[in-house]
Amino acid sequence: MSNPNHILPDDLYLFALQVLPEEDMRSDYAHLQECALCRAELGNIQGDLVTYAMTTEMQAPPTQARERLLNQIAKEKKVLPVDQKEKALEPMLYPRNSRMFQMEAPEERKPRFGFMGWAGWAVAAGVAAFGFLQFQHGQQLQQQLSAESAKLSSSLAESAKAEQVMQALTDQGAMQVSMHIPVDPKTPPKLDPEAHAVYVPGKGSLVFVANHLDPLQPYKTYELWLIPTGKDAKPIPAGLFKPDQFGNATVVLPELPKGVAAANFGVTIEDDGGSQKPSLPIILMGM
Amino acid sequence: MSRVGEGPAIVTPPAPEKDAELLARVQRGDERAMAVLFDRYSKIVYSISLRVLRDTAAAEDVMQEIFMQIWRKPESFVSAKGSLGGWLTVVARNRSIDTLRRKRPSDQVEELNLASAFDLAEDSERNLLMERARAGVVKLPPEQRKTLEMAFFDGLTHAEIAEMTGDPLGTVKTRIRSALLTLRKGFQA
Repeated sequence: MSNPNHILPDDLYLFALQVLPEEDMRSDYAHLQECALCRAELGNIQGDLVTYAMTTEMQAPPTQARERLLNQIAKEKKVLPVDQKEKALEPMLYPRNSRMFQMEAPEERKPRFGFMGWAGWAVAAGVAAFGFLQFQHGQQLQQQLSAESAKLSSSLAESAKAEQVMQALTDQGAMQVSMHIPVDPKTPPKLDPEAHAVYVPGKGSLVFVANHLDPLQPYKTYELWLIPTGKDAKPIPAGLFKPDQFGNATVVLPELPKGVAAANFGVTIEDDGGSQKPSLPIILMGM
Repeated sequence: MSRVGEGPAIVTPPAPEKDAELLARVQRGDERAMAVLFDRYSKIVYSISLRVLRDTAAAEDVMQEIFMQIWRKPESFVSAKGSLGGWLTVVARNRSIDTLRRKRPSDQVEELNLASAFDLAEDSERNLLMERARAGVVKLPPEQRKTLEMAFFDGLTHAEIAEMTGDPLGTVKTRIRSALLTLRKGFQA
């Protein structure tokens, strides 16, 4: 892929996108370690990719994501070495030019080392070395503990979510809606788009599965709507989705208010990023 | 009555803390600094992951993993790699593609330097970049736009794109490069 001197320009772009075969990725990476010219051009390409990435419609993450992260980092608190902590605190306690610092500075004393003096130092050095080893060991244990705690909490979160999905699917009070396009006898038989929604109003839990969906134009997305009961109730956005290459898509546990009774569900096509009110036509809806 | 020459006190909002200062605080174990970084960049990271994965839960997991990487190893990000916002953008895309392909994360590309004149920490600059980038993409020829989208957001290799579109491999490669070069020139103009 590369000539003996430099990586071909087209390949450098593919390297930046990480879409080269693994063997080429490795050889190009080795070349980049040595070649400042290719490295500089790769930096420019990465900058171009950042620019392109910013064409994405911005969407705020779920509100609980922040709390989840902060809980996780609280569980993995950092243990700083003692000397680093003291260094950080020192200026706040005693600025070097402050009177306090001068007052508490230890008096200089002339060394008065005899045999006992040297022996004392040797014992102190031994104790310090032992203490350092203990500290290191303690830190290793602390890191292991943090890593294990992280794994455990991650597993618990996944397990809780799986349980929630299972409850939504098996809840006897769950409302189950199958959605199809209206049947037209003139339409020749084909695999029509269809979808199935399972919804538990009390918990605001919704699982939605769609099949045989048509591919979308660029910058378009499907949007799922919960249509509440009540005369003037406005449809509530219940998630954006795009089908995979086989026309399948899912929306699992979107953010929905709890306790909203649904009269129906519908699917529309919107611009990327979704809409706050559905655009006609409705592609799929409950029968 | 008021004294001549004495107007109402003007309160200047404190300047936002720089990324490097926040990373230094993270290195000292300051959880509040992590919260500031999250508030600053979570929207970008989440949006890109969501665009690639099309699944809110999976996008949130990728975002969580990236911010935890900053917390665990803030020293792994050094200013030589370019702006933190730019680095997070590249990592969000790459990790999401890895998740899509169920592939082990590769750090090769993320280790290298990144050149971007934009500071994504600033809302105004970020909005300007988004506006100009979108305007630039709309002007690309449709086949270049589609090929770039398939490579960047769908993580398809040039061989896969060639197979799907029926275009020769060389054409696919050239389209990707031409599209990004056109975008770059649009910014330089």
